[in-house]
Amino acid sequence: MVPLSYYLAVAACLFSLGVVGLFLNRKNVITMLMCIELILLGVNVNLAAFSHFLQNLGGQVFIFFVLTVAASEVAVGLAILVAFYRNRRSIEVEDINTLQG
Amino acid sequence: MAAYHADDMLAWMLGDAGRGAVMTTFPMPNIAPLIPEMVVAAAAMAILLWDLFLPRERKHWSAWAAMITCAGALALTLKLAAGGPAQAFYGYFTLDAFAVYAKLLIYGGTILAVVLSMDYMKGEPHTGEYYSLLLFGTLGMTLMASAPNFVTMYLGLELMALCTYVLVGYQRDVLRSSEAALKYFILGSLASGVLLYGISFVYGVSGSFDFAAAGQAIAHAGPDARLAVMLALVFLLAGLCFKVSVAPFHMWTPDAYEGAPTPITAFMSIGPKVAGLVVFIRVLDDVLPGLKADYTTILSWLAVLTMAVGNLAAIGQRNIKRMLAYSTIGHIGFVMLGLIAANADGYAGVLVYLTVYLFMNMGAFAIIILMRREGIQGELLDDFAGLGRVRPGYALAMTLFLFSLAGIPFLGGFWAKYVVFIAAVEAGHLYLALIALLFSAVGAFYYIRVVKYIYFDEERVAFNFIENPLMQATVAVTAIAVVALGLFPGPMIAICKSAIAGVI
Repeated sequence: MVPLSYYLAVAACLFSLGVVGLFLNRKNVITMLMCIELILLGVNVNLAAFSHFLQNLGGQVFIFFVLTVAASEVAVGLAILVAFYRNRRSIEVEDINTLQG
Repeated sequence: MAAYHADDMLAWMLGDAGRGAVMTTFPMPNIAPLIPEMVVAAAAMAILLWDLFLPRERKHWSAWAAMITCAGALALTLKLAAGGPAQAFYGYFTLDAFAVYAKLLIYGGTILAVVLSMDYMKGEPHTGEYYSLLLFGTLGMTLMASAPNFVTMYLGLELMALCTYVLVGYQRDVLRSSEAALKYFILGSLASGVLLYGISFVYGVSGSFDFAAAGQAIAHAGPDARLAVMLALVFLLAGLCFKVSVAPFHMWTPDAYEGAPTPITAFMSIGPKVAGLVVFIRVLDDVLPGLKADYTTILSWLAVLTMAVGNLAAIGQRNIKRMLAYSTIGHIGFVMLGLIAANADGYAGVLVYLTVYLFMNMGAFAIIILMRREGIQGELLDDFAGLGRVRPGYALAMTLFLFSLAGIPFLGGFWAKYVVFIAAVEAGHLYLALIALLFSAVGAFYYIRVVKYIYFDEERVAFNFIENPLMQATVAVTAIAVVALGLFPGPMIAICKSAIAGVI
């Protein structure tokens, strides 16, 4: 049987990949959306692992809520991105620079 | 941890009635405490549909519908609250005095935001969507205020956040509006992820999403769970700090405030902060009481940083919306003193602060919107030059709001600061209160600078005011409230204390 810590390590890797990707990525905003998705998936792996090892269904139920919210979040995010693209004609991260101070 | 059985699942879903026996009846969950939220949800959906059938010249009816909905939900909440604290959905929703008072502020903030929007949104298409989103956002906030549980809290938080992302980017053809929305969305989603990661560790340590049950388990966790508990603490605090814009998680605030339509900036500066701080208080008090020493240290450093960033960065701003964004950050730094005090007086201080803040901030934003002009929209500090001569009434009201924000004695803002500072000193954080005092003196500078523009500078650009009786009435009411709360703070402080008393 795979011990709990292995699952947590995988989840931590996914989570940190997402966070690091969000900050290091200098190319385009779609990659940022993917990084956000990675973060949420890391959380889901964590919840599923805890749920299994605690023999408690709550965590798995919560995953469904997270998945649902993640889907609506991406829908809103892409809509905002399209609106931004129409004004700026670019989705490069470097072009998000009108508001500063 | 107990193994789960089918019986337990039934019991979990249906309450104790489902345990053991073959089910013959389906017990109706107690939904009475949720009726105001249901009204808001139904009205939000109805407005979305109704707006399609409204002719162009009657589009503002949606605004009235939104306002009436909020007032009705508020009245229903107060009526339900008269029956004492109540729970619904087996502990997934709670209606205690604390939640009721927070909802009072949230609904009040939304009503004022709708009033401020009516004129601003007149020329925009799809106003039905706008008011519908405002109502859904309000629904998310009220759910957060009533959450005794991470599941309800997360759903409320996301409902609120998704609506505010869209509202910030509401002016689709304005570059800075969509850019602000994009920045706010990316950082907000990151914060939600961080918060969720913290929640997953709380669940891992305790096996429960309930605040109180998780708090018990965390307080009694053994030394081998120390790492998981610390991870839970750090990620929970980081996520929550982001939502109430505590430095160093404040980066989104100035951009989102500046880019958003001004009524939305006003809306964002009250409701989400109230809801976020209610959740913050519940998490600190119910989930993390075993870690008080740890979180006090972390929050103290963050509070100092927040006060410094907010008050110092505001000095350099030329755009009043951006200045008020930094001012919000500074005020959150002061509010954190109440959280750090971590007792009933401190938490009551947070509520007092938010109550006064509702009036002074909404009043200031009302004046900014009244000064809207094509293109520049009364947003630069220079635009206030000469206001004192042209419109003495507005100038007086704006001066009152700014003095109150600065904490000048015998206006509402003074007592807000006084209550949290005293709570911090009594809890043994004298040094922190002294630093806060120092920064509030620094903060007074940039508020009073605007007053100098208003009264002592020559008019540079011709004024072009919006003449809207409802908004003028809002300015008058908020100005009177700021003065009245300053002269007679007693009843408000007593109400806030009694709202907290049942919870702690």
